[in-house]
Amino acid sequence: MRKAVYVLGAVLGSGIALAWAQGMPSDPQIAAIVVTANQVDIDAGKLAEQKAQGSEVKAFAKRMITDHTGVNQAAVGLAQKLHLTPESNPTSQSLKEGGEQNIAKLSGLSGQAFDKAYIDHEVAYHESVLDALDKVLIPSAQNAELKALLVKVRPAFVDHLNHAKMIQSTLAGQ
Amino acid sequence: MYQLHSPARRHETGAPALILAFAMMLLAAVPLAGHAAQPAHRSGGRAHTVIIEGMRFTPQTLTVHRGDRVTWVNKDLFPHTVTAAGKFDSHEIAAGASWTYVAAKAGEYDYVCTLHVGMTGRLEVR
Repeated sequence: MRKAVYVLGAVLGSGIALAWAQGMPSDPQIAAIVVTANQVDIDAGKLAEQKAQGSEVKAFAKRMITDHTGVNQAAVGLAQKLHLTPESNPTSQSLKEGGEQNIAKLSGLSGQAFDKAYIDHEVAYHESVLDALDKVLIPSAQNAELKALLVKVRPAFVDHLNHAKMIQSTLAGQ
Repeated sequence: MYQLHSPARRHETGAPALILAFAMMLLAAVPLAGHAAQPAHRSGGRAHTVIIEGMRFTPQTLTVHRGDRVTWVNKDLFPHTVTAAGKFDSHEIAAGASWTYVAAKAGEYDYVCTLHVGMTGRLEVR
């Protein structure tokens, strides 16, 4: 399981590294990364809300859906206001593919195995997105409002990561 | 008040009781919703504001006097709660919304957001 988390982290990380190697993303590319990153976690949350066994895991999934939907609404609204058309790029594509692989994997699991796999992925996902925010997205954002939005939502990703880690350690003890 | 929620009584008394119940629910909802538009002097105390933004309560500790009104304003993009177990509970405060509490009793109240693990605050009522 732990190995799978690292592999997944590497998948997410490779997209970020690729974008890094190709130069800093533009604002339309950042918009695509933000919207995709949120959508991937909303989709996983919707699956987990249905399939999760533990009440704590279900509640976490519901929180992910609500919080990331709120962030996405703000991101889409800002993109429209700034006339930014989200532009697909290696990082957003990598996030999307990673999300689809996660859903495919989770779909075949049930019970505690599902809960552990979902939470392990949530830990890896939030770590990767935080890494991207700090190293690529926030430093690259040119528009002040876009940068401010990224800075504003960063603490939510930290809180979600801490929350996921708490559940992960609880599940490990079961 | 609880009788108004009793199906048996509602059945006996018919529509007027339902209207009365609805009116009372509306009245009861006013202090719960804590409309910030109400002037602070109505309660005789000062008005204070705690901003909820970036997963933090700011100021993290607020000291007020009895009778003061404290309004928590949620500037984040998703809901939060202001919850001191057994003392007060805002329930979910939507993004962009606020909740006001009249600090009636002296005491020190540690509160949390029940939706997010790391969010804590403290209200001291002198």
